[in-house]
Amino acid sequence: MRQNGPDKRQLLVEHIVNGQTEFYRLALSYVKNRDAALDVVQEAIVKALSKVDTVREPAYLKTWFYRILINEAMNHFRRGRDLVPFEEALAGRAAESRDPGERLDLYDAIDRLSLPEQTVIKLRYFEDLKLEEIAQATGTNLNTVKSRLYKAIRRLKDMTGEEIDHAP
Amino acid sequence: MHPELERARARYRAQETPEELSLAVRAAIREGERLRKRRRVLRRSLATALAGCACFVLLVNGSPTFAQAVYDVPLLGSLARIFTVTEFTVNDDEHVIDVRLPALENTGYTDLEQQINQEISTRVQAVIDEAEQRAQETKEAYVSTGGDPDDYIPVIIDVDYEVKCRTEHYLSFVIQKTETRASAYTEFYTYNIDLETGRELTLRDLLGPNWMETVNAQVEAQIAERSKDPDNVYWTAEEGGFQGISEDQPFYLNQEERPVVVFEKYELGPGSMGSQEFVIQPAQ
Repeated sequence: MRQNGPDKRQLLVEHIVNGQTEFYRLALSYVKNRDAALDVVQEAIVKALSKVDTVREPAYLKTWFYRILINEAMNHFRRGRDLVPFEEALAGRAAESRDPGERLDLYDAIDRLSLPEQTVIKLRYFEDLKLEEIAQATGTNLNTVKSRLYKAIRRLKDMTGEEIDHAP
Repeated sequence: MHPELERARARYRAQETPEELSLAVRAAIREGERLRKRRRVLRRSLATALAGCACFVLLVNGSPTFAQAVYDVPLLGSLARIFTVTEFTVNDDEHVIDVRLPALENTGYTDLEQQINQEISTRVQAVIDEAEQRAQETKEAYVSTGGDPDDYIPVIIDVDYEVKCRTEHYLSFVIQKTETRASAYTEFYTYNIDLETGRELTLRDLLGPNWMETVNAQVEAQIAERSKDPDNVYWTAEEGGFQGISEDQPFYLNQEERPVVVFEKYELGPGSMGSQEFVIQPAQ
């Protein structure tokens, strides 16, 4: 009943093996901890492989895997923070260390964005995904991705004082 | 790219990757494969059962001797029957699926059997795939809006069938799919086979060329009759209630070989009315 099973599985395994360094870095950029990042990558791989038969189009495997990986990373983030909602933790952290007039390095500034904004920036500029691919990988539509990207760029500009062009 | 962004990218890329990464990746791939195979066993049992069924049909088709032999066995040859091809259960964090899948045999019309069995299995598989997909999306939405995955209540899907009529003339059965989340939603598919012609029955075959008028008049009369009970609420035609039956109105045959037309929940009245059935008598 499912003819393409072995092909999709094979494609996914290749994609995972070839991209493992990138996947690990992306996970690490969320969880900030080596062991946790390894866990996230492993969990994402297990989940993806066990469900690969549900993917209809082999062309979507790449973004589909990103989606699982990012979900795992965020789950980890939430579990780690226990009952403190992320926004609150973030607000606390930002308030204590932020000195008026202090300019942040762009890379550190990205950590202060909301999780969805971080994801858009990382996928666009560090993983070189197209906006359409980001929409698929985050399960949102293209317009949401665009508005998130522009908002994130504005906020980064506020935090760093740097003008970042946003070639789409 | 902006130099500042270039620098951030360089810092991102410079994040050290641990030596054991590729080992961890390999281990995870193996574990994922193992889980995938476990899931596939369930699917395969379905495919194998259907393949067995197709074999039987082909055998009848291909060998006159075999076909003759089957028809000579009185019970097997004379009475078409529905049997359960496969039963399976999937039970995980996202969903609980119970399936009892029927197939058809001994109607004497192998092409028809094949076609219907194929249709049943494709339809049921599509229903399950769709439900799985939806279950996964629902769970993702639940979790991403802050729900604890451990508290998630899995979607329950039930696929079952019921034989409504089995005589020497007709065979009629209904396949039902019920998906339960906050409330249950049922979909059904009906199959009616004329064993004399080997075709799927239509209401026209049973009620003649004026079948639409016949059915409409009787459904309206029965709605009026049932509405006398204040517990029964039907929408009027203006409110979106009964506006005449459709060309492909689902129906089945009851044990008396009378057609019973079926309307889905919400089609004629509020959800509390459930799905509605009307037995139709032949026009005088």
